[in-house]
Amino acid sequence: MKQIMTIAYYEAIHILKDKVLLLVVFIAPVLYAALFGMIYISGTLQHVPLGIVDLDHSTESRAVVSSFENTDNFKIISGVTSYEDLEKGMKNGTVRAGVVIPKDYSQKLSQHQLTQISTVYDGSNLIYGYNTRRYFITMLNTFSAEHTASYLAGLGMTKREITDVMDTVSYSMQVWYNPTYSYPTFIFIGMVVMILHQLGFLCIALTVTREKEKNTWIQFLCSAIPQWKIFIGKALPYFIAGFFNFSLLLWVAVRFINVKFSGSLVLILLLGLLFNIIITSSGFVVSLYAPNSLQVTRYLMLMSVPLFVISGYTWPGAYIPKLLNGLARLMPYTWMAEGIRYVTVKNLGVDYLVTIISVLALMAGGSSFLALTFSKRRKPFAQDRPTVNSTSLIPKKGF
Amino acid sequence: MFRQSRAIMRREISYMWRDKGLRNILLFGSLLGLLLFAGVYSHQRLDNIPTAIVDLDKSNASQEVITDLKNSENLQIVTYPDDFVQLKELIEKGEVIVGIVIPENYGKNVALHRQTRVGVVIDGSNMAYATNASSAVLTVTRSIGAKIGISTLIAKGIEPNQAQEAYQSIEFREDSWFNPTTNYAYFLVLAFAVNIWQQCCTLASCMNVIGEKGVSSWMQIRSSGVSVWKLFICKSFVHIGAFMLMILPVYFLAFEVFKFPLACGWPAILLFTFTFAICLHSLGTVMSSAAGNAVDSTRFGMVIALPSFIISGFTWPLESMPQWFQPLAWFFPQTWFFQGINYLTFKNPGWEFMYRYFLILGLMAILFYSVAALFTHGITTFFRRG
Repeated sequence: MKQIMTIAYYEAIHILKDKVLLLVVFIAPVLYAALFGMIYISGTLQHVPLGIVDLDHSTESRAVVSSFENTDNFKIISGVTSYEDLEKGMKNGTVRAGVVIPKDYSQKLSQHQLTQISTVYDGSNLIYGYNTRRYFITMLNTFSAEHTASYLAGLGMTKREITDVMDTVSYSMQVWYNPTYSYPTFIFIGMVVMILHQLGFLCIALTVTREKEKNTWIQFLCSAIPQWKIFIGKALPYFIAGFFNFSLLLWVAVRFINVKFSGSLVLILLLGLLFNIIITSSGFVVSLYAPNSLQVTRYLMLMSVPLFVISGYTWPGAYIPKLLNGLARLMPYTWMAEGIRYVTVKNLGVDYLVTIISVLALMAGGSSFLALTFSKRRKPFAQDRPTVNSTSLIPKKGF
Repeated sequence: MFRQSRAIMRREISYMWRDKGLRNILLFGSLLGLLLFAGVYSHQRLDNIPTAIVDLDKSNASQEVITDLKNSENLQIVTYPDDFVQLKELIEKGEVIVGIVIPENYGKNVALHRQTRVGVVIDGSNMAYATNASSAVLTVTRSIGAKIGISTLIAKGIEPNQAQEAYQSIEFREDSWFNPTTNYAYFLVLAFAVNIWQQCCTLASCMNVIGEKGVSSWMQIRSSGVSVWKLFICKSFVHIGAFMLMILPVYFLAFEVFKFPLACGWPAILLFTFTFAICLHSLGTVMSSAAGNAVDSTRFGMVIALPSFIISGFTWPLESMPQWFQPLAWFFPQTWFFQGINYLTFKNPGWEFMYRYFLILGLMAILFYSVAALFTHGITTFFRRG
């Protein structure tokens, strides 16, 4: 135990002395979480810049305009008076959606002829596109209902009769788990898990490479300290920091970003614990076999976007080819992100998480086994031709 | 003079090639990224959203509703649970996204023109699904509602053409501009691939200064009398050339093989990418001149490169970020690049709109190179004094 604590103590001292590492361990996770939180703080996509081309200028067409004015979903952009203005606005991004009311709109309405209102939205950003489409459909359903009601009133029907006709079949639509379509609730927890994954890996994966670069790893290899003690001692500070960051970022998500957070705290902590074990142990294994800190840093940094995209956290797994889905299932991030969403957003119990917890436990067991039983045998470095940045020597000032 | 420059460039190519990690990243990073993302988004649209119907009525009228739902463009009926409890479990497990509950006596109530209520449940935990699902449901319920409304009016003695007019005299047409099929692959695949590319470029350019002054050969270079400027220009020429060579196969695959939209044409996109490559290289050079070692330089570079895609507003729009944060986002060259790529590939708004993107990226490059020179100057002065 004393040996473990001594190794852990010196690793902690190293973290405290290396300013950049200290920032990566304790400040960067909060900083990234705060940054992404700020970006998504508005929660829902509202005030979509809308250009309305009213070619009719009648009382009826103004009713259409005012129905769009009276909603927070759209922000009417003035100065859009023609189709050309709308095209120009859409091209330069000042307008993201448009409504075109035809010239003979009121005339056709009064003659009870079919008339057409055109709606357009910017498909170059589908977050705008899909949300705007939903807003349009909701608005136009309401508008259609109002039109039908006034038409029926014109036929001499009473209010009661109109309601009876129009509500013969009504629909009660409920959106479960995220009824306000809050973007932070959807994406932020996934990002928090990715921050913990990447920064956790980045810290622990340098622990052995750094020793190799200082030529001190040899002391660990030659000493009588068993492998498992070396691993636990070196990993302990990162494990504690990782768990601290996990709790801190979840608290930030709930307290400041207003992310939905329901479900069992015990389950959340269990998931966090397993995930942290996987990150710490597999990061240590990576560090054992990586040539130097530079290569580890480079490869790890590039992994974040591909891991996030193939995990199915945003684009559903059912639409991803099986081969890539299988690949994603080998990554702890995929399981952790899914598990944490199940608990925090969907408030599901342990029954629904058996598979996820089992897989994470299996991964934690496997990676811990590899870390605890690493070989202390030294391999001679084969170097038959000149290489750059591929050995334990990396460029640094004051060489 | 040119012989010396050629020799420096050859040496730099050799350095980049022998750095195995960097070589692999530069050669395969962005290409693999493109292929991976193209694979992930190969389905392109979120159609056939898994839907379950609980038909508690099992009448002809409820069958009509089911038929209408089956004919809906984006919903796919995958199962018919017996009751609400089963439906709830399916949604909880994520096996279905939309649940429809047709109540008991639905057919009878419709026939008697009594009010009845159909329940619709949507799993909102994934917004990409939920937004599309609710649009699909709203569209189909409007058409079903109109159909029933018309038949109710006719039953009440209203003329069929009047009943039709009451519900269908205004038609709503919707168009998605610039991406008519609302193709998710068009929207994201290229953007993600160029995001990987800019990260790879950052990794390479972060070695620019520290890669020289952090190794002992720096002394030889200094004593050989090679001008710092010549060294810097020759190295940068190789780096930026490599960045452009990396992006060419990515663009070729994206625009010629996958047929992603390219509204502006090849010359404009290449010129814009070239401008950004210079700016990115200048930013990496700042990091490489400020950091104490190559690992820190890489970390500093990636601190900016990693979140820059999200900050750029390519996905979550800049306009929806806090007011005070929006101007800050424009301090990142990546914001100009990703926004510019979106405009050029989808919209081609013309030179009078795009010139500022080129101008600002160019100005940023000058600024960053100047800052890098200031950092490096300290080292040069030290050697001169020495």
